[in-house]
Amino acid sequence: MSREREAADLDERILATIDAWHRHGRSPSDAEFDDLALAIFAHQLRYNAAYAAYCAGYGFSPNALPASWRAIPPLPARAYKEAAIAAFPIERAELVFESSGTTLGDPSRQYVEDRRLYDAALLAAFERAMLPEGERLRYLLLVPNPAQRTHSSLGYMMGRVAAAFGDGETGWYLDEDRLLVDAFMADAGDACDRERPVCLAATAFSLLHLVETLEERGATMRLPARSRIMETGGFKGRTRVVARDELYARVERALGVPSERIIAEYGMSELCSQYYDRPGSERSIAGTTHRVKTAPPWLRARALDERERDLPPGSVGALVHIDLANRSSCLALLTEDLGALVDDGIVLLGRESGAQLRGCSLDAEDLRRS
Amino acid sequence: MTALSALPLRTIVSAIGDAAARWCDADFPPRVRATSGIVERTGYAMPAVEYALDALFGAIRSDAIFETIRRELGDPARLDGAAAPIYPLGRVAILSSRTTIGVAIPAMCFALAAKNDVLVKDREDALVSAFARTLAEELDAFADALEVAAWDGARDAARLHDVDLIVAFGKDETIARITADNAGGARTIGFGSRTSLGFLDEAAQRDDRALDAALAGAARDASLYEGEGCMSPHALFIERSAARTPNEIAERFARAMESAATEFPVGQRSAASRAAMLQARNLAAFRAAAGRGGAWCDDALTYLLLLDPPELEPPPFLPRTVALIPVPSFDELLRYVERHALPIESLGVTGTGRIDTERAARIGAARIAALGEMQRPPLQAHHGGRLRIAEYVRFLDRDGEPE
Repeated sequence: MSREREAADLDERILATIDAWHRHGRSPSDAEFDDLALAIFAHQLRYNAAYAAYCAGYGFSPNALPASWRAIPPLPARAYKEAAIAAFPIERAELVFESSGTTLGDPSRQYVEDRRLYDAALLAAFERAMLPEGERLRYLLLVPNPAQRTHSSLGYMMGRVAAAFGDGETGWYLDEDRLLVDAFMADAGDACDRERPVCLAATAFSLLHLVETLEERGATMRLPARSRIMETGGFKGRTRVVARDELYARVERALGVPSERIIAEYGMSELCSQYYDRPGSERSIAGTTHRVKTAPPWLRARALDERERDLPPGSVGALVHIDLANRSSCLALLTEDLGALVDDGIVLLGRESGAQLRGCSLDAEDLRRS
Repeated sequence: MTALSALPLRTIVSAIGDAAARWCDADFPPRVRATSGIVERTGYAMPAVEYALDALFGAIRSDAIFETIRRELGDPARLDGAAAPIYPLGRVAILSSRTTIGVAIPAMCFALAAKNDVLVKDREDALVSAFARTLAEELDAFADALEVAAWDGARDAARLHDVDLIVAFGKDETIARITADNAGGARTIGFGSRTSLGFLDEAAQRDDRALDAALAGAARDASLYEGEGCMSPHALFIERSAARTPNEIAERFARAMESAATEFPVGQRSAASRAAMLQARNLAAFRAAAGRGGAWCDDALTYLLLLDPPELEPPPFLPRTVALIPVPSFDELLRYVERHALPIESLGVTGTGRIDTERAARIGAARIAALGEMQRPPLQAHHGGRLRIAEYVRFLDRDGEPE
């Protein structure tokens, strides 16, 4: 079978899996997930040379596959900065996403061969998590505008979402790194006047910036009932960090959107699929309380110890995501994020910070900054 | 006048040396109690803590203190009011946070030897408090001269209002905050973030025994305190040699790291550290599969050696993790330090190394040490490149009289 034919067959199976859940709520069984994951893995061993070479170190080849998806070697996320992780000729990529800010060399690049997979995965998960009421919302977007940042996965995602689920009056309020507060206020005010519920999507930092600007102006508004906010991205690379509870409380005061209608999305440019917070699902892990993030059924997680063994639920380790929609790159990703599995999802504890270098007197962050 | 100003220097220094000598005994009850506290605070295994206490107190000898005084101040009698007298500053505060073991103690001893009143912020393990009690047992006046307390920097900043000098060990941002919040206006000396490197010269690779000895030393330096100290080497530069391949050196170093783990078992590690080590190992394995470098470790990831990482990558500041960087010459190490703007404390070298002080100075190093001795600085060593006792005194010159 040719590579193209094999890829097309796999894509059809993945699309069917996504569609079954999106339309009918049907999740693949463990056996079905295993079967599809191993078929994708075998495909990637055949056609993704960089990943195949890495997996050879684990003893895997197209003729020697693991017994279960759990044994698929997770590729460290930074590998995406150093090589083309693709199971197809990258010049044929329909989508190319790059990570945002990077301190070391090239950005991370994800090449997507067939945008249908990416679109299907993001739209299905978004609709389930963000639009339970099924209403067409007005999208007010404080995320990179794909017209300016053509390789932003977040910008692409929100553009697709707004096109699929919006009311046709989408607004973008990031001009490069500048937040267009006045334009946002005007459009949000219009939505309020016309009682059109909105979906405000923003990075945590943009959201904080917006709220601070409104606070400085002494301005508050009450976005229409049934409005929602999707927050994402945390405070990566920023010197100012605000606790999520505090941010949500300030958002509620400034915009009138209750915290249970603020949903955090967790994704990354190396994945085609996303997790979303489930409000009201708080769990205490490692002494702190966090919302549970849930995944669509074609995306599963592992939490690993340093020996690359699976940790039991509740134990904190390195998060690995197995994303079947990553058919054209690498389906198993070892992230730099710490987290724990819980029975209905994951709890994300943040980015691994490495050793706490104490010395006299050492601190890794200090040294990396200096 | 300070509590110690009327006492002869020899009395003070002898008492310090005698107190430290008692702490060299691993069965000395206060040390036994403090050791448990340090293990709890740092998570280090007991042998590493014992090693640290032996190195710390073994270095605090009265002859070493006198030698330091002679080097930095001249005739010690000047501190007793002899010709060209030297006076204590007054009241010195020594703060340490997020540091390894007993960092404040040598500074405290020198500040006392200079006859200052001294205030020390203690850590959760109460090591300084325990040693202060031993000092007071040796010399009553230390009870008046020395105050050791645990306090919160933000809440208790007023304690620093009446001090003449603040010596701070810790994170750069903590030191910056202390300096900024210093309402009393006292001078602040900060000992911030620094790291160390090793250099394995070509000559040291010619002979198996010499090579293994150097690597055993480097392994000990890298393993102690889980690589968290400013004297912990995080990168070992390997001068290219016709005699050895970098892979062979990595394999020998891996064996040395395993031996070091037997002598100094691994301490507790955070989930973040463990995850970061896993990420670093797998990334190195990915690079190796692509034909660059490699990773050496054991199954438990007790240690991790990363051979030939990309030049743009800074040292891996992870537990017992060392980047092995083959270089044509020492000049490449200079470029590396410059590229990553690394503040360097120590440079570890072999006995056959041809590293002159001029070149070590160019990387900003405060000390050149033999591999294996990086974690045992002599008391006289200029920590952070600074004077050890001269910072704690003031001079009074009379015009026309030579010193």
